[in-house]
Amino acid sequence: MKLREFAYSRSGDKGDIVNLCVFVYDDDNWDVLRRELTVEKVRDKFGSLVKGEITRYELPGTKGLNFVMTEALGGGVSMSLRTDPHGKSYQSLILEIDIDADTEIKPRPG
Amino acid sequence: MTRKSISIGSGSAYSTDRLDWAQELADSGLVDYMGFDCLAERTMALAQVRRLDDETAGHDQRIPELMRRFAGFLRRGGKMVGNFGAANPAAAADDVLRGLKLNGVTGVRVGVIHGDDVLDHVLDQDLELPEMGVTAQAIAAQVVSANAYIGADPIVELLDEGAQFILGGRIADPSLYVGPIAYEMGWALDDWEKMGTATLVAHLLECGTHATGGNYVDPPYRVLDDIVHLGFPLAHVNEDELIITKLEGTGGAVDIGTMKTQLAYEIHDPAAYLTPDSTADFSHVWVEEVGSDRVRVGGASGRPRPDSLKVLVGVDQGWKVVTEISYGGAGCVERAQLAAEVVAKRLEPYQSGIDEIRYDLHGMSALFDGQLPGGDPAEVRLRIAARCDDRETADAVAFEGQFLWMGPAGGGGVTTQMAPAIGVTPALLPREDVKLITEVIEA
Repeated sequence: MKLREFAYSRSGDKGDIVNLCVFVYDDDNWDVLRRELTVEKVRDKFGSLVKGEITRYELPGTKGLNFVMTEALGGGVSMSLRTDPHGKSYQSLILEIDIDADTEIKPRPG
Repeated sequence: MTRKSISIGSGSAYSTDRLDWAQELADSGLVDYMGFDCLAERTMALAQVRRLDDETAGHDQRIPELMRRFAGFLRRGGKMVGNFGAANPAAAADDVLRGLKLNGVTGVRVGVIHGDDVLDHVLDQDLELPEMGVTAQAIAAQVVSANAYIGADPIVELLDEGAQFILGGRIADPSLYVGPIAYEMGWALDDWEKMGTATLVAHLLECGTHATGGNYVDPPYRVLDDIVHLGFPLAHVNEDELIITKLEGTGGAVDIGTMKTQLAYEIHDPAAYLTPDSTADFSHVWVEEVGSDRVRVGGASGRPRPDSLKVLVGVDQGWKVVTEISYGGAGCVERAQLAAEVVAKRLEPYQSGIDEIRYDLHGMSALFDGQLPGGDPAEVRLRIAARCDDRETADAVAFEGQFLWMGPAGGGGVTTQMAPAIGVTPALLPREDVKLITEVIEA
């Protein structure tokens, strides 16, 4: 199952660093998210887009994760020659990650 | 004794944000204060460049419109705080005074904050520029500006002196709101717990409609009824609760989804969100829906503010040029790739003047470098982007982009953009080196 089926994300930029938060629609899927969405899976999906480190933080109060990626915007918004120098579109890439826990994930209602 | 409270609305999140919807919020009577963030990382450096060309320029260009739209709000006693000064707070103050007069508003004290321009310090102290791997002196000829992110202190000071309209240069986004909240609630600027709380409210407001449904909708998963006319967010703060909501009848949403994404927007360690006012801890923040487009938030805490202030240093990077052309139908990807190869060959004589050049295929790999493979597209757009040392080299790149009219076959819709490339890069400066001066002008 794609992460997009049970979670949502937004990117933010500061210099050459991008952060991607991921929250679950249903709090019941928080444990699966925490267990399955590892730094390794994120690094694998982003590949050469991230030249630096990826650090994962937790927001237990809102049941979310925050991935901070350095050297990830082609030098930062003002320096970058990339089409999307803010990395706004990265939120859509992280949601493409496959999570192999279909039976445990509570589907979105409706 | 009256219970302390403040109602504060968001009026702007960047230098060209729309003011019409912000005016609706100001005119609603729901808020006593409006905060206006007018600066992004690059906006400040571009403003400095405008000022270098013209000493009366380099401030927010919307002030005439702003004063027209918010004259009524000011007449009713509303207070406004914004970083309208950008690179030139004095010129912004002149525009504000002119606008007050033009719109017949009298008896307004205008507070002006000077001193965030720290270019001399950056060069004298030869500050490290960690993202560029050099110190300031090593690239001194290219350093065009340096502005420190300043905090809520001078805002509180000016409110205390009766200022109703406050402007400055690089006031940090959250501080525009932290100042009024601290002042009205009587919260000490070294009460770190309270500063963490004020920063939470500020962070949820500072991005305007970004928090109320902007950059949120993703059908069929994230859907809102109306995103045509988004409402700007506002907060009601008292000692018992923090409420975030928006104007009734506007589109978008203030709900758990929009608030959570705004909470984590542009933060790194959620337990240590660094601002000039505190080290805020958002890790245990909670969000609860208490009505239609109405949430209660809480759980923020804080620790002492950083000893250093972040400085954004503007660096002249020569010229940036972007040229694009589209190809469609069978073989379009191959033709676009061939076009890129041809341009690269034709630009070989200019190589020494090209700092960096990228060839991307929109529709294939421009956003994700091919990390997300797709099928054969019906059409692609070749984008050539280069940073060049001088205008002549940038012109050559633009020329070769346009010359793709002459093949490969079927290339159409050539566009070219060219602009001076001003980069910004962060540095840290000890807080005590930033000497702020406040001024009150009676209008």
